Amino acid sequence: MNGRIARVAAPLAVGLIFLFGWEALVRVGQIPSYVLPGPLLVAETLWRDGPSLLGSLLVTLRITLAALAAAVILGGALAILFAQSRLLEISLFPYAVILQVTPIVAIAPLIIIWLKDQVFLSLLVCAWIVAFFPVVANTTLGLNSADRNLVDLFRLYGASRGQTLRYLRLPSALPYFLAGTRISGGLALIGAVVAEFVAGTGGTESGLASRILEAGYRLQMPRLFAALLLLAATGVAIFALLGWLAQRLIGHWHESALPREE
Amino acid sequence: MEREGSGAPMIALDGVGKRFRSGVEALAGIDLAVAPGSFVSLLGPSGCGKSTLLRIIAGLVPASSGRVVAESDLAKRLGFVFQEPTLMPWATVWQNVYLPLRLAGKWREDVAERIAETLAALGLEGFEQAYPRQLSGGMRMRVSIARALVTEPRLLLLDEPFAALDEFTRFRLNEDLLRLWQRHHWTVVFVTHSIFEAVFLSSRVVVMTPRPGRIVADLPVELPYPRESALRTAPAYAEQCRRISALLSEAMT
Repeated sequence: MNGRIARVAAPLAVGLIFLFGWEALVRVGQIPSYVLPGPLLVAETLWRDGPSLLGSLLVTLRITLAALAAAVILGGALAILFAQSRLLEISLFPYAVILQVTPIVAIAPLIIIWLKDQVFLSLLVCAWIVAFFPVVANTTLGLNSADRNLVDLFRLYGASRGQTLRYLRLPSALPYFLAGTRISGGLALIGAVVAEFVAGTGGTESGLASRILEAGYRLQMPRLFAALLLLAATGVAIFALLGWLAQRLIGHWHESALPREE
Repeated sequence: MEREGSGAPMIALDGVGKRFRSGVEALAGIDLAVAPGSFVSLLGPSGCGKSTLLRIIAGLVPASSGRVVAESDLAKRLGFVFQEPTLMPWATVWQNVYLPLRLAGKWREDVAERIAETLAALGLEGFEQAYPRQLSGGMRMRVSIARALVTEPRLLLLDEPFAALDEFTRFRLNEDLLRLWQRHHWTVVFVTHSIFEAVFLSSRVVVMTPRPGRIVADLPVELPYPRESALRTAPAYAEQCRRISALLSEAMT
């Protein structure tokens, strides 16, 4: 079978079979919609409630993108700082790890209390904590992965630290950085949602997480599923967008982005 | 050889030894003087420290003992070619060759002509905008050599540059390298484990043995330049190879 058609057709077929089975299960088993709504009902709800959910999606999306941007900028800067001094790296890296492994649900209440008047900022900080580590870890690895012989060559030609960073270490790190960014994109969304879950509903500007909680309390399962669907679609869109960006930036040279000749 | 002028050597090593931090003694008591204009091959089996010796000459690795005396400013007039092409995969052929000049603060407009000439000398016209991955192994090595030559070095150091290439490509690159060496007046130190390659290229062959790396023989190659591919089948060439081969196996036992 043609590979390109298979790449689209195969997952599509799986999805259709799954949806069909789901709908059949709900109808044959006569499962009430407040336990498990069928996909048709979810689609209908999404169509009807979509506009009202869209405002909330925008709030979540703003937090997510701001957190991702902060992760990319601060994470990248931190990695470049680490690359300047081994001492700095070994002194600070463990704390980045500690921040990464601490469950966000455990520290989110603290952050929300500390930044009590600034809802957006507190959610942003939570999402950032979840999202920044892959960028730092990957970029640090990338900056240290420059070809040893090329490093020698730069030394031989008397390159300055700045030149070595600009012409050698940064380009070497770019594929690692982009891979980290792709992971961070998904994590930023998760962080934004989790933080909002912890922060609770209420407030004039509430995101999709609040809608999900609300719908759960009111047993509006179709609406909950519709909100979930929007979240998933957003996550996929961010992932795809970052993938496209990576292809644009390193597609002409890096192994990971090259088409395989068969 | 008439090319090996008298006078001061370009670089001279005096009792140079190298012990790595792991305790391995890579080199011991190396005395070597390289005359300007000569083509010297360091020949020996793998592990004999010949690459380490080349790195010491380049100043990439410090010697643990002994002295290295070089012509003044030689460090700025070096060209180095690694075993691998060692190109920047994200940069085009042109940008890769421009690198040493860029690091020296030269503007691309000022050196465009020189880069074009160097690329032409290595048969790389038309590949300026290609990326390394689009090139064959032999072409990548040509780019690597072009990068080393573009600074117009006085001393060219090559570390088994053709070891990974097929024989046809290696022969062609050998001949091209010789032609360029005769046209310009660099000095070459060439590391290889191939007796045939060393004899074909060099005006002088320095034979090394391992554990620790020592020089066991230092002989001139008595074959006139220019050397063309026809030489590979000449009896005189075979005789030189046989002589060095015998020396090497004697030293190894």
